[in-house]
Amino acid sequence: MSISLPAYSRLELPLLGRRERVRAIIATGLRREFRRPAAIVVIAIGVAFTTITSIVLVLFASFLLPGQPLNLSFFALPASNGFVLFFVSLMAAIIGSGLIADDLHSMAFTLYLSRPITHLDYLLAKAAILAPLVSMITVLPLVITALIAALLFPLVFSWGVALQAVGLSVAVGLLLMLFNTSVALFLSSLTRRKGLAAAGMFGGNFGLFIPASILASAIGNPNLLYLSPWNDYLAVATAAFGAPGIGIDWPGALAILLGVTVLAALVTYLRMRAVEVITG
Amino acid sequence: MLVETAGLTKVFGDVRAVDDLTVQIPDGAIGLVGPNGAGKTTFLRLLLSLLQPTAGTAKVLGRDIGDGVPVRERIGYMPEHDCLVPDMTGVGLVSYMGRISGLDRDTAMSRSHDVLQFVGVEEERYRKIAEYSTGMKQKIKLAQSMVHDPQLYIFDEPMTGLDPRGRTEMLDLVRTIAKSPGRNVILSSHLLPDVETICKYVVILDGGHQIAAGELSQLLTGSTDRLRIDVRGDQAAFARLLTEAGFEADAGPTGLHVTRRPGLESAVFDTAKALGAEVRYMGKEIRSLEELFLELVARTEKRGA
Repeated sequence: MSISLPAYSRLELPLLGRRERVRAIIATGLRREFRRPAAIVVIAIGVAFTTITSIVLVLFASFLLPGQPLNLSFFALPASNGFVLFFVSLMAAIIGSGLIADDLHSMAFTLYLSRPITHLDYLLAKAAILAPLVSMITVLPLVITALIAALLFPLVFSWGVALQAVGLSVAVGLLLMLFNTSVALFLSSLTRRKGLAAAGMFGGNFGLFIPASILASAIGNPNLLYLSPWNDYLAVATAAFGAPGIGIDWPGALAILLGVTVLAALVTYLRMRAVEVITG
Repeated sequence: MLVETAGLTKVFGDVRAVDDLTVQIPDGAIGLVGPNGAGKTTFLRLLLSLLQPTAGTAKVLGRDIGDGVPVRERIGYMPEHDCLVPDMTGVGLVSYMGRISGLDRDTAMSRSHDVLQFVGVEEERYRKIAEYSTGMKQKIKLAQSMVHDPQLYIFDEPMTGLDPRGRTEMLDLVRTIAKSPGRNVILSSHLLPDVETICKYVVILDGGHQIAAGELSQLLTGSTDRLRIDVRGDQAAFARLLTEAGFEADAGPTGLHVTRRPGLESAVFDTAKALGAEVRYMGKEIRSLEELFLELVARTEKRGA
């Protein structure tokens, strides 16, 4: 196409719909993340660690879990892998914390909103950038583990069990992904400094998990475990795979996780609506 | 009409940034002028529905600003402040903005090269924006506003931070866009000579109010029954004596302004003689935009006091 200015009259360029505009933000956002060394390292190491440790659990299951039946309940073990908590927090901190905060800091948020998209389009696009990356930690390793278990030990883990495990892994993994995506975007929308949002992410996950676990066992009140999102997730995951619970009811834990996820998303939306425009 | 507003108001806390603004702006190149804090940027952001009005309505290109997305499809906005994504390349950002505006990938890339060439960003388009000078950033901001070839361009202080050469270049670019068929420009600036050279119609704001609006040529010519008199000497005393002689005279920062009626010329020279003052100019009231602006602001302040 040749330059339309200044000699020719205006072109009526055909414009694609809002869905395409949101897709453009997602595609560009993902491309930018995959060019950032920090993001690549976290994704690569995170996926590798969580997957390898989960496979090791499969390989050494009979030694690690003497006496435990190697049925569906076994898969609660890789789902409870502590590396998942660490890397999902790291991923949300390194990638998610900057998704909105960077736009607020550079004031590019004004540029986005001056385009024909809505606040909701913008937020959905940002969530769609983070969600697949987080799911590479929360879903992918669990699915790979179940498939490898069925491939390596077809006599121990039947394909029926493996496929059930895949389905449940996807469900609980998506739950954890939704929670972390929503909370990371919420924290990112609160500040122009992504470091603060990243610290908030770690604080939210570990700062609640460790004290809640210690206090719950110290004073013998397991209800304190509800305070920690990771413990809530563990309660849901163990219940889903039919493994022994961690001392709290899964429906309550699920309600807390979903409630916080929805609330964080709603507050993020309202917060971004209220920002209206950024000035220097 | 390019823009129509009725009672448009935006309040931030106790501050009425835009106060009951009713204006009809025709197509073409429009200047929006006013001192700092006059409400220019707030007005522009209301038009883009980046801000929600506290009261009143506005239409841009015949559509209500509440429609949001369809309105913004037809607008290219160049904000005053820095707003670029520093880790993207110039061509990457412009093409990205084209895609968010609804262009397909190929068209967006092709258009971004076109507009970058137009604004004079050549090989630098492949460098990261973080490495650009202020002038280059301004050009990228201009290019991103043009990429989807909108009907209306809104330029908020496009000359901000530019050196004289950069300012001249930017002025030429804005003028070229304003002159091209089918495109309309709203140029917000406090650099009044710039507005004067580009725009045919101006809206002057102060304190969130419209203090004047109209064809620039008419506003500058003023009323044909008024004369401007430049006096070397005591201007205030000169105005007072003319008023005492029965003429309507105002002394302002741009000289004396007197309503014309029979006997004025002789009264002026009599007054000059009496005061020992020198009449350096007496003629039709033709002002620069700057003079008009100062006069209107002074008149508004006097009325407020």
